[in-house]
Amino acid sequence: MPEGQRRILVIEDDPETAAQLVDFLATSGYQVDLADNGDDGLSRGRSTEYAVMTIDRMLPGIDGLAVVRCLRKAGIVTPALIISALGEVDDRVRGLRAGGDDYLVKPFAFAELLARVEALARRSSTVVKETVLRVGNLEMDLVSRTVSRGDLEIELLPREFQVLEYLVRNEGQVVPRAMLLQHVWDLHFDPTTNIIDVYVGRVRRKVDSQQAYPLIHTVRGVGFCVRAPC
Amino acid sequence: MLLAKTFRSSTLKLALISIGIFGAVVCALFGYVYWSTATYVLSRSDRAIAAEHAILQKAYDSAGRGGLIGAIEQHMSDGRFEGGLYLLTEPSFAPVAGNLQVWPSALKGMSGWANFSVRDWKPDSADGAPLRAMFETLPDGYHLLVGKDIDNLDQFARAIYTALAWSVALIFVLAGAVSISVTRRTVGRIEAINATSRAIMESGPSSRIPLRGTRDEWDQLAENLNTMLDRIEALMGEVKQVTDNVAHDLRTPLARIRGRLEKACNRQRDVEQDQSLINETMADLDSVLRMFSSLTRISRIETSDRTSAFRTVNLAEIASEVVELFDAAAEDKGGHLNTVGEQRVLVTGDRDLLFDAMANLVDNAIKHGREAGHVTVEVNQNNGHAVISVADDGPGIPADEFQNIFKRFYRLERSRCTPGNGLGLSLVAAVARLHGVRIEMVDNEPGLKFRLQFPLVAESGLEDGAYQATATRPPLS
Repeated sequence: MPEGQRRILVIEDDPETAAQLVDFLATSGYQVDLADNGDDGLSRGRSTEYAVMTIDRMLPGIDGLAVVRCLRKAGIVTPALIISALGEVDDRVRGLRAGGDDYLVKPFAFAELLARVEALARRSSTVVKETVLRVGNLEMDLVSRTVSRGDLEIELLPREFQVLEYLVRNEGQVVPRAMLLQHVWDLHFDPTTNIIDVYVGRVRRKVDSQQAYPLIHTVRGVGFCVRAPC
Repeated sequence: MLLAKTFRSSTLKLALISIGIFGAVVCALFGYVYWSTATYVLSRSDRAIAAEHAILQKAYDSAGRGGLIGAIEQHMSDGRFEGGLYLLTEPSFAPVAGNLQVWPSALKGMSGWANFSVRDWKPDSADGAPLRAMFETLPDGYHLLVGKDIDNLDQFARAIYTALAWSVALIFVLAGAVSISVTRRTVGRIEAINATSRAIMESGPSSRIPLRGTRDEWDQLAENLNTMLDRIEALMGEVKQVTDNVAHDLRTPLARIRGRLEKACNRQRDVEQDQSLINETMADLDSVLRMFSSLTRISRIETSDRTSAFRTVNLAEIASEVVELFDAAAEDKGGHLNTVGEQRVLVTGDRDLLFDAMANLVDNAIKHGREAGHVTVEVNQNNGHAVISVADDGPGIPADEFQNIFKRFYRLERSRCTPGNGLGLSLVAAVARLHGVRIEMVDNEPGLKFRLQFPLVAESGLEDGAYQATATRPPLS
């Protein structure tokens, strides 16, 4: 993690899931506070500055969404990742995204959780307007919408450009398939087909073929990652 | 058994109540008929007596007592007044003239009307025959009685009474018999339905209510219930099929995982091998979880009311996005995917679901179509209906499989080896049902064509601006 330790609040009532979350987030460089019920979560969320919080949808006492609403009413803008075990994301959770929040459906891969937490944490801290993105020898000009690697111009369709832009903005992070579908296509479901892989595969062919090193990597079972060799 | 049920039946109770009310009305009516007939007959005989009396009175007025006696004797002998009764007595009631021997003791006072009977007043008359008479005291103190034997009138009234009474009795008996037979018939039909219900409760929904072929309302009821039972049986079959398939599709990856773990448990630890084992196991678990989320997703679409989340969306835009997304997949197979039709076809719906459904159709068309085949997505308006069709030029499917392919986990024999869990088209069907969309399958000669016809909607009347606001995507975040 680039800038020291960041605090994260985990509100989760199931002890085993909570322990796994704390363990995983701690090894990923976060300082984790755990609340095992809504009331505790609410008071901790109010009193301490957190980079991100994760909230289980179903909590004893107060419902997870109610916790977020209460915090928002109290002027706390900490981004929240709602974790739902209901299988399907309902409209109320979807509506929350407008407030800089995100959701995740149980069961999830920890890599996906981390990707979403990182994305939320970034959103809360840095809102820098870049015009050019760089990874390795890849250069994306966001104004002229052109891409090049070294001297080689790469022709991309508008949607392919968006995919690459999202991956490059999340350089070094794993971007889960569903998250890509959500941010590039604004679709909120887990695709039952391998369509995202095929699509990213085509982007990868355009970007990585005849190059000294690949930039787009597939993370099995989770998603994709853009990184330059060190 | 049936008889006991008949007597407990509410139909019979209702019938008996109706018979009671109807019977009371008939009794009252017949009572009135009897009363008015009897009164009429009596008043007729009273008028005859009064007329006879008037003639005698006239004889008395013109010729005195002697004239009266003469008139009485003459009237008695010519028999013009049938059954006539005459008696003239002295003030002491000693008879002077007439065919009555004694002044009846019932007649008291100066004058009036009376009913009475006298023993043996006439040899051919019955004992104590009813008589009716008018009597008066003449100005000279003599008493005059003029009357009539009303026995035949009485018999007439009695005959009417008897006829009416018999009619009433007959009506009651007939109505009772008809009620019981109608009730027995009703109870019999209901009993057939009851028997079938009991059979179903005991041994499953295989029995059906027998029809009598009369096309009456009972047959119609039985037919509807039978159709309902068919549907329930089909649904139960589907549930069983789904359960079996879930069990099978779950067992396969779980068995693989278990075997792999068992083998790993028994061998030496090896970092590289363990890593690949963990990766494979996670991939298998992911496929199980994906199957579950597909299943719950379909059942949520089917059961919950999501229409509140409906917005106006542009089908053509969704179609072109799906085509763009799958273009790479079609290219990988050496095939071609394109979209034709109108640029703007608005419907009310859930964008995610419509996208997913269309993606599944296109995915199927690419997967099950011809190698290097051609898939066409067409969106247009047809008589006000928005229509999407997805067509491939592959082998197609036999027409008798058309309905089966929407069943959960159903897979054609030849498709068993291609990836997929047999849930894609179930999802399409669920989304279509939610949107009121009719799905048709057409032979594309060659290939298969899915045609989704949206329901007619009243002209949306949306301004371009409003449409822009709902159907365009927010910029990349």
